[in-house]
Amino acid sequence: MANLLWLQGGACSGNTMSFLNAEEPSACDLVTDFGINVLWHPSLGLELGDNLRKLLNALTSGQMPLDIFVFEGSVVNAPNGTGEWNRFAGRPMKDWVSDLARVAGYTVAIGDCATWGGIPATAPNPSESQGLQFLKRQHGGYLGANYKSKAGLPVINVPGCPAHPDWITQIVVAVATGRGGDLSLDEFQRPKTFFTSFTQTGCTRNMHFAYKVSATEYGQRKGCLFYDLGCRGPMTHSPCNRILWNRQSSKTRAGMPCMGCTEPEFPFFELAPGTVFKTQTLMGVPKDLPKGVDKSGYIKLTAAAKAASPAWAEEDIFVV
Amino acid sequence: MTAVSDHELRTQISTLLNSGLVTDIFPRADSHEDVHKLVNELQLAGNDLNSKLLIAGFTPYPVEHGGVCQLCETCMYYKVHRRYCELPELDVPVEPHWSCRLWRI
Repeated sequence: MANLLWLQGGACSGNTMSFLNAEEPSACDLVTDFGINVLWHPSLGLELGDNLRKLLNALTSGQMPLDIFVFEGSVVNAPNGTGEWNRFAGRPMKDWVSDLARVAGYTVAIGDCATWGGIPATAPNPSESQGLQFLKRQHGGYLGANYKSKAGLPVINVPGCPAHPDWITQIVVAVATGRGGDLSLDEFQRPKTFFTSFTQTGCTRNMHFAYKVSATEYGQRKGCLFYDLGCRGPMTHSPCNRILWNRQSSKTRAGMPCMGCTEPEFPFFELAPGTVFKTQTLMGVPKDLPKGVDKSGYIKLTAAAKAASPAWAEEDIFVV
Repeated sequence: MTAVSDHELRTQISTLLNSGLVTDIFPRADSHEDVHKLVNELQLAGNDLNSKLLIAGFTPYPVEHGGVCQLCETCMYYKVHRRYCELPELDVPVEPHWSCRLWRI
């Protein structure tokens, strides 16, 4: 039996909604099949007031073991570093985070806000938000660069806005069943099993990407969303087109550009007007090129691919 | 628009460009703001062909800018087989060796 506690900081509850929609395994499977004891969760917990405080104190004092500490949302430090804007169970949430992270077997950050600060940390960051161990790309975050949980791992980051339901439950199961040591993390402490391939991997528009045929409208079935509509699929590490959403689709499959929400810079360009869903270019060349491709190579590849493109690539091949 | 009318319109544009229609070839739309400004102007111009050609800076020959040859042929809005620019605000048949300042790759 592994004790799990889930708390929320500066959050919209999107990752909670995602978690509750998990299918493989489901939130119920965690309890019934994997022996996870969900001590408290903002949408599921029964304890309130003093009873909740007693539970939290039992965990921070070591009276009750905390095997998995899941945190959703940013760590709010405002105003002036006090954390008073986000109080919980009688004290600033950030103080609970410090105390619970110290005793946790594993600490798992779920969603962009908990991993790198996410939307709350967008400039000018009025809530003084931080992720647990990163602020955007900067290593450190609220817990500091040297933090390690009792199991010897840094914070396990499962980013996304929200994170896919099954990424959440599969990582929780891995650590709850003693396989935490098998997790291999990338430079941003994301499990490599999910965040090594790209969003583009498995995208149904890859033929259009290859032949440089652009989609010009949302929802259009033909064309690639990278060239004009700001899709970040070729630069974003996520399995969104391998582990499908609701088991059947993804943003790019549905004709909406990937916003790169599993990367530390999300939301990109600080949400400046004109930057969302629009490919940013400099002298006609995308500012952000597919990972590992340089400008000169990109121009040569595009010219060659366009010249070689077959007629069908310009048509809608998804015939009903 | 049919292939025949594409051909007719392409010929008409070619005639306009080769018979001295002056278009705004520079400055090129280097930044997102530049692109946005030109697209707005095109939207205001509606379907007036001469205005479209002028605002977009069409030329019946390639233009090199920043060390890159900006050909319709390599532009992401260009449909190779139809020989057509599918930028919604332009939406005109073109030749692969033409160029305009909204070129992007």
